[in-house]
Amino acid sequence: MNPTTPREPAHPRTRVVILGGGSAGWMAAAALVRLLPHACTIRLIESAEIGIVGVGEATLPHLRAFVDTLGIDEADFMRTTHATFKLGIDFRDFGRIGDSYIHPFGSFGTELNGVAFHHYWLRMHAAGRQDELSDYSIANVMGAMRRFAPPSADTNSILSTYSYAYQFDATLFAPYLRDYSLKRGVERTEGRVVGVDQDAESGDVTALRLESGDRIDGDLFVDCSGFFSLLLGRTLGEEWEDWSGWLPCDRAVALPCTPPAGPIEPYTRATAMSAGWRWRIPLQHRVGNGYVYSSAHISDEAAADAIVAAVEGEPMAEPRMLRFRAGRRRRSWVKNVVALGLASGFLEPLESTSIYLTQGAITQLIELFPIGRIRDCDRNEFNRMVDLEYDRIRDFLILHYHATTRDDSDFWNHVRTMEVPDSLAEKIELWRHAGRVQKYSQGLFLEPSWIAVYIGQNILPKTWDQRADAFEVQGLARAMDKLRGQIEQAARAMPEHDEFIRRRNAAIATELR
Amino acid sequence: MNPDRSIRTVAVVGGGIVGLSAALAFVRALPRVRVEIVVTPADPAALADRLPSTLPPVGRFHAAIGLNELDLVRDGVATHRLATRFENWSASGRPWYHAFGDYGLSAAGVAFHQLWVRARGDGGVRPFHEFCAAAMLAQDGKFVHPSHEPDSPLSTFLYALRLDPERYRRRLTAEAERLRVTFSDGAIAEPERRQDGGVAALRLADGRRIEADLYIDCSGPSAALASHLGEEFEDWSECLPCDRLLLAVEPGDGLPSPCDLAIAAPSGWRWEAPLPDRRLAGFAYAGSITDEAAARREFGGEAAEAVEIRPGRRPQPWVANVLALGDAAIAVDPLEGTNLHLAQSAILRALELLPGRDCHALELREYNRRTEQETRRVRDFLALHYLRAGRTKGRFWRPMRERKVPDGLAHTLEQFEARGRLPFYEEETFDKHSWLAVLLGMGVIPRGVEPAAGAVDPAQAAAAMERLAGRIAAATQRLPGYRDYLANMARAPSR
Repeated sequence: MNPTTPREPAHPRTRVVILGGGSAGWMAAAALVRLLPHACTIRLIESAEIGIVGVGEATLPHLRAFVDTLGIDEADFMRTTHATFKLGIDFRDFGRIGDSYIHPFGSFGTELNGVAFHHYWLRMHAAGRQDELSDYSIANVMGAMRRFAPPSADTNSILSTYSYAYQFDATLFAPYLRDYSLKRGVERTEGRVVGVDQDAESGDVTALRLESGDRIDGDLFVDCSGFFSLLLGRTLGEEWEDWSGWLPCDRAVALPCTPPAGPIEPYTRATAMSAGWRWRIPLQHRVGNGYVYSSAHISDEAAADAIVAAVEGEPMAEPRMLRFRAGRRRRSWVKNVVALGLASGFLEPLESTSIYLTQGAITQLIELFPIGRIRDCDRNEFNRMVDLEYDRIRDFLILHYHATTRDDSDFWNHVRTMEVPDSLAEKIELWRHAGRVQKYSQGLFLEPSWIAVYIGQNILPKTWDQRADAFEVQGLARAMDKLRGQIEQAARAMPEHDEFIRRRNAAIATELR
Repeated sequence: MNPDRSIRTVAVVGGGIVGLSAALAFVRALPRVRVEIVVTPADPAALADRLPSTLPPVGRFHAAIGLNELDLVRDGVATHRLATRFENWSASGRPWYHAFGDYGLSAAGVAFHQLWVRARGDGGVRPFHEFCAAAMLAQDGKFVHPSHEPDSPLSTFLYALRLDPERYRRRLTAEAERLRVTFSDGAIAEPERRQDGGVAALRLADGRRIEADLYIDCSGPSAALASHLGEEFEDWSECLPCDRLLLAVEPGDGLPSPCDLAIAAPSGWRWEAPLPDRRLAGFAYAGSITDEAAARREFGGEAAEAVEIRPGRRPQPWVANVLALGDAAIAVDPLEGTNLHLAQSAILRALELLPGRDCHALELREYNRRTEQETRRVRDFLALHYLRAGRTKGRFWRPMRERKVPDGLAHTLEQFEARGRLPFYEEETFDKHSWLAVLLGMGVIPRGVEPAAGAVDPAQAAAAMERLAGRIAAATQRLPGYRDYLANMARAPSR
């Protein structure tokens, strides 16, 4: 041993206690047992009496990395959770009633001479060319044709310019991860927590007391107790930062339906309503629907009536109501409590960010996982990364409401005219003025996402990059025609989305036999 | 761009490498824009014009201005640059290499350096740079273009160019003339101003008047034009202590090398950059600690030219229709060869974010914001070399540990020292391999490793590390020396 190297002494394994068995709790358990089996013991406490929210049926492409890290076979995972592929979100009636655009998981066109494609499109659009920016996104074109094939790893191929996520039955997601975790040594305790013990001096949580009288000791407590936020919110009293002024939707009413005949869309649909919006998520065996609304602008009964009237198939259950509010705890890691999922904060599901936020926090927790004493620098770093994610997603969500000309209801009048955060106002101004997206590379929703929503909701910049003028109009038109042709041809060569899923399911069934 | 908003004319102030580079990049990207260069008297402290070491993105920049690497190398304008060898910077005194390549291979989701740090604590491991193919090539004085075979250890690095300042300037000038950039000579006098604070026209000392939509100040640290729009300066001398340089040209030993040298000495540090026929050398020191005569004695160059710099940056490099580039925008000492790179990076960013003729504040803000992120992080990286050098002997080095560490570097050190984690920063110039090479090379060793490393068996990790070092050694040993490689390149057909 080199005497000049300061080394930490060996520590006993950290005892992790996870409170709550929803998606967040079981995602944390699965990731910890997969990646840090030597560094911690994991116990998860859940109660069958306390339901889980389990609505987050639509996900983002990042979840694939999580599935991959756990070593889960994607085909098996998708079959078990009745999952379909998702290439983006189809937004309807947001900018104006009658409008429709897709926010794709992919880019628009290809860079030309170092200039982003949308500048060429803006120039040609101003010159009178009649097509949509979305015609240059292969994810969009595939979605419209209801086709699917996995993207290519060859970065020179047009087939590498998109990505995909899953649409799945969220009530089957947590059980899937529970099976995974229990097989690998996570211990599960059934019971309701009735008391929390804290160290008199430090305030650290030392144990959870159960209704049964049992006492669960731990070193690190992961609060996945949902909105109740038993440890971070109720016990440690971490302050709530309220964002409902900008994101007024605070309830949802969910209504699963039978699938329609015909092909399954490889995308989620979000349709603006008079006091919010409604989701439509096609799974293999049903279609998830729900109306996310602002209770200040519509009654629960009227919202339930509206969703019942709007759905296409036969309802498979009674409408189920959920309450929430937009915002987050000021810090997510305080003392020895790390809150994940709803216990830490909530952003409404408009861009399917819920599971992503949980996943991101788990990734940070694993990188900063405490061995021995918990250090301030680790907590601070964790909270810094969580802040970064929340702030950017918040701005992106607000944009969907604010960028509208709708004046047909109090709700839309409110969001259209409200003051937005300065950070968002600046981004919108830069786009409007110069067609540029404020650049960052860490975090969700990079340039193509912002462009999709800006253009989809009719915020057209006044101008474009001057370098895009270096080409003659005719030459550009030919290049763009060619690109469109390539995209269309590539999409047309793919199997239908249904067919792709059917074939994969059949292949697994054969394997299992 | 709507024609009524487009920039039509650009006047570049300064005819050195930075000014020529900016002019070329603008005419290439914007063929309809007229570009005029006002060749002002050269400023001896304009380091980006004088010390044209570059970083790997130089390839992208040259592609943008239409220069071809093969031509530059064959004509003796450029040689390749893979690494810098640092001598006497570490606590142990052992040399180390900062190379433009991957150090080690990650496995099973655990970063290589975590396993290296653990192995080091457990009783010994090869120096970190022996797991980097580019460093091993540099150590042997060899160079090869990176392989396209993903499994080859020779596919894991990048390279930069080391430019001969005089020849490079002549090449850029010829290119600019060919593309109809116009030149005029003269010193800048007080400019004519517009109502909004921008510049309406340049006035030359002899009374000539030059009008343009956009003015680019590449005149060096005195910022002949930009200084009229604001004198604000962010001073970095607390963390970048070298404000005096001695610059020398020495006869070469005839052996070209892809490796630069940086040798720490009691009063500062000395550099050597071999060109094909001679060697650029120099000495960096702090004027408050060492006087010029003593520095000359230590450097051993009586004929060397003395230059003063003021480390720091202009916080608003783009104000109204005046953009400051190169040493007019940021001044740092030659450590790690960032001077010209930062100018090239700023030129491409200016084109990427080129505003309309009105140079609207919103657009400039985005340019200035990103420039601040980039340059502060370069400052952090350079400051690391001084404030956490393993060497503590010598009057220059002794007080370095007491100096205030800038926030970004403090955050990085805190995270790294705890468990070898490198926090993410936007607009980072040096990737994590570069940070690791310097941190570990100098002897900044994390107290612990990340817990995920515990999942990898130490004996297996040690065996894998030996295999990797063996593969790198085998791949580099069979290559010819750099001189032979250059000779082969000279015979290759033109592209």
